[in-house]
Amino acid sequence: MMIAFILLGALTLVGGVITIAARNAVHASLGLVGTLISVAGLFATLNASFLAATQVIVYAGAIMVLFLFVIMLLNANAPITGRDPIPFVRELAGLGGVVLAGSFVILAVSYKDPLPLAAATTALGGGSASVIGETLLTRFLLPFEAVSILLLVAIVGAVALVQRPVAQPDNVPDSEAELLAPPVGSAISRGGQQPAFQQQSLQHKNDEGEVRA
Amino acid sequence: MVPTSYYIALSGILFALGMIGVLTRRTAIMVFLSVELMLNASNIALVAFARSWGDLTGQTAVFVVMTLAAAEVAIGLAIIVAIFRKRETTNVDDLAAMKG
Repeated sequence: MMIAFILLGALTLVGGVITIAARNAVHASLGLVGTLISVAGLFATLNASFLAATQVIVYAGAIMVLFLFVIMLLNANAPITGRDPIPFVRELAGLGGVVLAGSFVILAVSYKDPLPLAAATTALGGGSASVIGETLLTRFLLPFEAVSILLLVAIVGAVALVQRPVAQPDNVPDSEAELLAPPVGSAISRGGQQPAFQQQSLQHKNDEGEVRA
Repeated sequence: MVPTSYYIALSGILFALGMIGVLTRRTAIMVFLSVELMLNASNIALVAFARSWGDLTGQTAVFVVMTLAAAEVAIGLAIIVAIFRKRETTNVDDLAAMKG
């Protein structure tokens, strides 16, 4: 058990370092995939089998695919070079990270288990889908329903955010089109105004035809 | 049995790594990846405490955090794509229009 923890913990930290240090965004997200799968393994060592499976499916599967898709869509895998506008940000962030990690480690060392670990582990029931589902649908029914609403809002919001802005309407009434139309010289260069211009020339032809008749 | 304190220490170190990433990376997508790292660190701590107390509340909370992360990623990446269409950049230093 201890060997599994050391191995998975080391893989988690290596993946995390790759995530924050890789210059290429695709490499960084692959490092994050390594971290996520190692965290799934850690969940398994903590008797949370359902969460381990969910971690692989939801995080390492769905979320990372979305990340990689957007990185490649925006062609954003090149790092930003050039001077950082904030001075000493790397040094200060490193110092803050070391202080934070150190204080967490001190807190962790001082933590005492309230129950014997073996007894507490049997109370978890292996963290299988049935015991998690029972807890979720009895004690935590309201948060469960709230999360479903949150997901619905996220779907609608994502669709609303990425849809193209509505194009300029074509069927503007003629009086308005004349008001909006720029001078004739620039009207040819702009695609949107062309129909009004063509209509005008058609009208001139009609006028000429009537004159001939 | 691995003591709970080892898991908490690992979670704290991972959280600090994510914080360093949020502070130093300058592409919006990389900031997002670092936030995911911090969420996972908190998940490790929650599952470790669930085992320590023999209570499933922690594991249920992790389930909610995962759904939250999925929703956050969907919305956040949509916002990044919308900004990229308008401004042609994902550099967070250029997106300082709301700076007070």
